Amino acid sequence: MTNTFDIEAHAGTFRDKGPDEVLDFAYRHFDNIAISFSGAEDVALVDMASRINPDLQVFSLDTGRLHIETYRFLEQVRERYNLKLEVLSPDSAQLETFVREKGLYSFYRDGHKECCGVRKIVPLRRKLHTVDAWITGQRKDQSPTRANVPVMEADAAFSTAGHTLYKFNPLANWSSEQVWTYIRENDVPYNELHNRGYISIGCEPCTRPILPNQHERAGRWWWEEATMKECGLHAGNAGNSG
Amino acid sequence: MYITFVKKLTADGNPCRKCAEVEKRLNDAGLASSIDSTVIADERDPHSEGMQLAQQYQVDTAPFFLVRMGDGETRVYTIYFRFVNEILKAKTTEQEAAADILDSRHDLDFI
Repeated sequence: MTNTFDIEAHAGTFRDKGPDEVLDFAYRHFDNIAISFSGAEDVALVDMASRINPDLQVFSLDTGRLHIETYRFLEQVRERYNLKLEVLSPDSAQLETFVREKGLYSFYRDGHKECCGVRKIVPLRRKLHTVDAWITGQRKDQSPTRANVPVMEADAAFSTAGHTLYKFNPLANWSSEQVWTYIRENDVPYNELHNRGYISIGCEPCTRPILPNQHERAGRWWWEEATMKECGLHAGNAGNSG
Repeated sequence: MYITFVKKLTADGNPCRKCAEVEKRLNDAGLASSIDSTVIADERDPHSEGMQLAQQYQVDTAPFFLVRMGDGETRVYTIYFRFVNEILKAKTTEQEAAADILDSRHDLDFI
């Protein structure tokens, strides 16, 4: 890949493009690029990418708390696409310390972020230090916090002083309906939890099925709903407590 | 090098939770003296200096740091650990970095 990669110009050009074009662009520009696969409907991304690049680098974050159905699905996807699926585990010493001090269900009391930090973000960060770019299934319609997800960006969270990491979100402009149409029309395998009312799928203790017309994020960390606050800096956000 | 710390005041006039936490960490680590100026982004006043800086540098979360380098370049840091690692050359743990990342990138916990 080139070191003179003008991400802002490319992001403008591809702002309204669909996943195929974004993926094709990403694979033409980066060799060391990996897909982050969550074990949910982002399987559509794996399917699309496999048609562009048969030698995919795909990883999943095994928090140790996933549903058994998700583990089975990861294996199904590994076999279907002949992937060397890299399953990343938390740092054992950090996890043991965390569980010893906080127990196995601290997220119901303290919020989910500390647990997510140990089980997901630390291993994710370690992995991302080894690649030049990554691909996620993030979409604008998934939650208010994703409303501005661009199709590509320099990743401010995981870049370092000497290494700019690029992030591609090929599904950013797609709706959930478009993703599921793709899955059905292309006979893509999917997590069996979706048949039981689960839309957004994460760890077992932090995920639940939702009712008709509920937003998909109502199925994640529902007990925090009343206290979910952001440190936004928009003039119109009076009322957020930061 | 000149470092500006921008923190948000919420509608009730108090610092936002994350801003207060970052300020405490700067103090606890003995790094507060490295900050040359502190500017308020008052969400009740879109013309407050901090809100203007946020708009100028297209920052949408608080707190954040502006670092004017010797060559005139201004760097923007919205993630605390990156600021202290890269600018103040201070160490943070992996867990602290993970917490900072999640706090500043709310979309990430759904990964």
